[in-house]
Amino acid sequence: MAHLLSQTQRSALVLAVIGAVAGVLSGMFGVGGGILMVPALVLLVGFGQHRAHATSLAAIAPIAAVGALVFGRANSVNVAAAVLLAAASLLGVQAGAKMMNRLSDDRLAIVFGGFLIVLAVVLLVL
Amino acid sequence: MTPLEILELIGIGVSAGFLAGLLGVGGGILMVPAMVLLMNFGQHVAQGTSLLVIIPAALTGSITHYRNGRLLLRDAVFLALGGAIGAVFGSVFALSVEDAVLRRLFAGLLLVSGLRIVLARGLNQRRRETVGAQDA
Repeated sequence: MAHLLSQTQRSALVLAVIGAVAGVLSGMFGVGGGILMVPALVLLVGFGQHRAHATSLAAIAPIAAVGALVFGRANSVNVAAAVLLAAASLLGVQAGAKMMNRLSDDRLAIVFGGFLIVLAVVLLVL
Repeated sequence: MTPLEILELIGIGVSAGFLAGLLGVGGGILMVPAMVLLMNFGQHVAQGTSLLVIIPAALTGSITHYRNGRLLLRDAVFLALGGAIGAVFGSVFALSVEDAVLRRLFAGLLLVSGLRIVLARGLNQRRRETVGAQDA
C-alpha cells in the first residue's frame, strides 16, 4: 500500500499535457481518454497501475462534461438513452471498482482487448 | 423507446460500467460501438451520448477509489485542466467530420486500443505466471 501513497516527483505541466492529449481523444471519440491517460501516467509520471487508473477516472468526469456540452449544442446527444445507460452503469461501476481491490485483472483485460479488436473489424466492414 | 431497447441500454450500461470501474477507463470505448451496432445510433449521437453517460460513472468510480486511498485530487485537477481544453478541440473536430468517416476513425481507435491492451497485459500475465511458478 505504501507505494500507492508515496509522493513521487512529478510536474503539473506533464499532467496537464497528458490531460490535453487525452481530452482531444475524448472529444473526438466519445470516450473518457483513460486508455491514453493510464499508460501515460504509468510511463511518463511513474504512477503504479492502480493509482494511474484511479487518477485517470477522476479526470474523466470533467473532460467528458466539456465534450458532452459541445455535442449537446450540436443536438448529438440522446439524453433519454444516456439516463438509462448512466443508471445502469452506476451499478456496474461500483461492482467493478470494488473488485479492483482484490482481483488481478490482467486476464480479464486481455479478453477485453481481444473483444475490442473484434468490434473494430465489425465496425470497419459495416 | 421499446421495452427491448430499454433492456439493451441497461445491459450495455451495466457491462460498460463494470469494466470502467475494474479497468479505470470510462467505458465509452464499449458503449459507443454497442450503441452503433445494437441500437443503430449514428456515430455522432453514440459518441455524444457516451460522453454524457461517462460523467456520473466516472464520478462514482472516483469516489470509491478516493475512499480506498488510491487517488490524489491534486493530480486529477491538473489532468482535468489540460483535458478540458483538449476536449473542446476534439469534439469540435468530431462534429465537423461525416458520420461514416468518424465511425471508421473510431474503429481505428478500437483496433489500436485492443492491440495495446492485449500486448501489454499479455506480457504482464506471462511475467506473473513465471513468478507464480517459481513461488510454487
